[in-house]
Amino acid sequence: MLKQRLIDALGADAVKTEPEDLAVYAFDAYSQGVVPAAVVLPANTREVAAAVKIAKDCGEPIVARGAGTGLCGGAAPARGGVVFSFARMNRVLEVDVRNRRARVQPGLINLDLSKHVAASGLFYAPDPSSQKVSTIGGNIGTNAGGPHCLSYGTTVNHILELEIVDENGDVTTTSVDDIGYDLTGLLVGSEGTLAIVCSAWVRLLRQPETVRVWLAAFDDINAASAAVTGIIGAGIIPTALEMLDRVMLPPIEAAFHAGYPTDAAAVLLIESAGFEDEMNLHENEIRRVMKENGATTWRAAKSQAERDALWAGRKGALGATGRLAPNYYIQDVVVPRTKLPQALKAVEDACAPQGIIAGNVFHAGDGNLHPLLLYDRGDPKQVAAVIEAGNEILKAAVDLGGTISGEHGIGSEKRDTLRRIFSTDDLATMSRVREVFDPRRSLNPEKIFPAGVGCAEVA
Amino acid sequence: MIASTLPDKIVPKSLDALRETLERCDREGLKVSVEGGKTLSGMGPVLPRADVALITTALSAILAHEYHDLTCSAQSGVRVAQLNAALGEHGQFIPIDVPLRKKATIGGSLAAGWPGPRRHMYGRARDFVIGSQVALADGTLANAGGMVVKNVSGYDMSKLYIGSFGTLAVFTQLNFKTLPLPKKRRAMIAPLPEATRARAIERIASLVVPPAAAFCVEGFGKNVDGADDIDGRVLLYFEGTEELLERATLDTRSALGKAGVPETTIVDTGAAESLDRTIDACIANKRGRSITYRLFGSPGTAQERAERMRDACNRHELFTDVLFDVMNGDVFVRASERDASHFGAKIEACHADLRELEPRCTIVACDSVARASFEAWGAVPPAIEKMRAMKARFDPHGTLNPGRFIGGI
Repeated sequence: MLKQRLIDALGADAVKTEPEDLAVYAFDAYSQGVVPAAVVLPANTREVAAAVKIAKDCGEPIVARGAGTGLCGGAAPARGGVVFSFARMNRVLEVDVRNRRARVQPGLINLDLSKHVAASGLFYAPDPSSQKVSTIGGNIGTNAGGPHCLSYGTTVNHILELEIVDENGDVTTTSVDDIGYDLTGLLVGSEGTLAIVCSAWVRLLRQPETVRVWLAAFDDINAASAAVTGIIGAGIIPTALEMLDRVMLPPIEAAFHAGYPTDAAAVLLIESAGFEDEMNLHENEIRRVMKENGATTWRAAKSQAERDALWAGRKGALGATGRLAPNYYIQDVVVPRTKLPQALKAVEDACAPQGIIAGNVFHAGDGNLHPLLLYDRGDPKQVAAVIEAGNEILKAAVDLGGTISGEHGIGSEKRDTLRRIFSTDDLATMSRVREVFDPRRSLNPEKIFPAGVGCAEVA
Repeated sequence: MIASTLPDKIVPKSLDALRETLERCDREGLKVSVEGGKTLSGMGPVLPRADVALITTALSAILAHEYHDLTCSAQSGVRVAQLNAALGEHGQFIPIDVPLRKKATIGGSLAAGWPGPRRHMYGRARDFVIGSQVALADGTLANAGGMVVKNVSGYDMSKLYIGSFGTLAVFTQLNFKTLPLPKKRRAMIAPLPEATRARAIERIASLVVPPAAAFCVEGFGKNVDGADDIDGRVLLYFEGTEELLERATLDTRSALGKAGVPETTIVDTGAAESLDRTIDACIANKRGRSITYRLFGSPGTAQERAERMRDACNRHELFTDVLFDVMNGDVFVRASERDASHFGAKIEACHADLRELEPRCTIVACDSVARASFEAWGAVPPAIEKMRAMKARFDPHGTLNPGRFIGGI
């Protein structure tokens, strides 16, 4: 019934029902969910709306999916249902160069947008490390960040207007310029639990006149943390300020030949983009703070190729962990920037007693840590140890005044952890929004909210 | 129309007092007018019924300035200028560009969601809010976000409350990320008669070093600097290092010169105040005889929209002052009359014309008498039904500013 109706509405090519096809869509980069009953690949908003109505009629939950690169189970169906893939809605629909904005479909790959508008001297700022594969729709779902959001802000700061399909299959639009509630700001980061985004007007920025990238190495990770605090405290906000530690440097260098020292305790990768006139001043100030905090190496990338190599190492860091262990588990927590030394120590304290090696590659300027816990999935003891250490890290971040996710989202992974930062009243308030948009909880069910918040999910 | 009643005023001095007031009003069916510095009270209709005016100005503590983290936290009744003065002691600020910032509270400014002229450069004030606490209609306190600069833990509820005009909840506390203060500011003012305007605006929009704010102004007299340029003027505000501003100045003079603008005046001392005066002008009101409209849109169409609205006002023989934001596209048009007794009849016809021309233009400054006569917000947005449902879910008894916002929410 469901399958036939979907095929009638979208065409056989746009509906997948074979078990071997469906099995793939049970996964995302974090977890395995329940195999969906069907996968649809709509070609336009009308087809999205039609498929939503059919899923609703048949009582099937709906999971909208980008590239599945999410790291918290947000795209893995918790109850099966109908998965919406936006692989066929992947175009740039319109570029408005004068007003620096573009209208795009949700399946567009993040990096492809910047490539598309590069000739006009523009770029799309949010740059999650997954940007070669992850989609704008998925980025909107998680309010994705990236190294450069230190200065440019996360995805929500770059979304101007959304075309959405709601749980009834009705199409509407929201705009940051609408008089009324800022539903656009609310929808970004709602992990597909409120509506399905079918197109978006996004903000584009002018390419900076000058970009400089520097590398500073330290023989003590606390000195590197102090240097981060020193830069921010001195009132300098670089475009990006990333840290890589001693565990991660050798495998990254081996994989990418990026030019990182392999014997340092920590490396800071710093980028400043802007006007030539200000750049020497920035460089001098940043260099001074680095030296004052004991940097053993200071190097400026001399060419675009050198800059690209340094960034390729940073953005490919997760893949390089394969040289250290069969599997990794990446955490995503944020602490106030001055608490980085304590947070890094907490990571070490959580992992070392369990015999787990943890590497760190993260957005230091934002206080956004990404400890990589290295382990072997085949060893149940290691799996249990990683889970426990991950929880300890979450607890430590909260104790330090931080939060449990900076850019990956809550998904299924952290839904019960949400209670650590929000009271019952806070969560009940959040739940009111869900009730307005999705009273039956059919959109990406069992995500974000802890079990038991909101009547529909009480066990 | 139901006559408004003079409400009792309550100025809670503590969070508990505010909560208790709301809880009681909600329970007893009393309607609450939520107020901060009342600087934007000229927006939206007069409440059909307000039993209690709940004024947040006594919640005026700056709770934290973690300057090494570039974050701060303050109660909602803190004035915008007061907060920025405190942040300034450590060389930081938040770009909340609202009119009358010495009087405007941070809670009221964020509740009004006023989008400032520097947003094309820094982002909207909403983008600096990293956490908030609100009191819901029944007095329940709810927190959102936190004190870290990046956070995707659950829905970003602050976004929902920002710009909701106090119809969903009352801000009690706001947490912000801050920015380092620019090292130097400079204002540049030049005459800009209509013949040169379009060319000059195109050149300003494509300056390599863009101004932090840029306005094209016709009229507004001494409310805005450069009042001697009666045919129109452009006001540009730059922020950055000395070196950058020198370059910006040369580039701007050259660009404007090529557009046919011969003279540019530089203002260094008092540049920030000059920007403040221009922002204030957006709601400058002539008592009983003016209405100011605001219309959002893309920067590329701002001049055209502004001129269309101006011409419509002129057709009704009203005086017209026009101000538009070159970088963001916001248009402000003030229609006025010297003689208050003639204003009513003229503006009624003019208002109808403007709404036909630009259904989404909004009244931002107007006396209560005139506000009673006109629908203030303009055409409802496409998602109004979701907004209505939100209001019903957050404020089921219609306690908070009922009828204050668009579509009667």
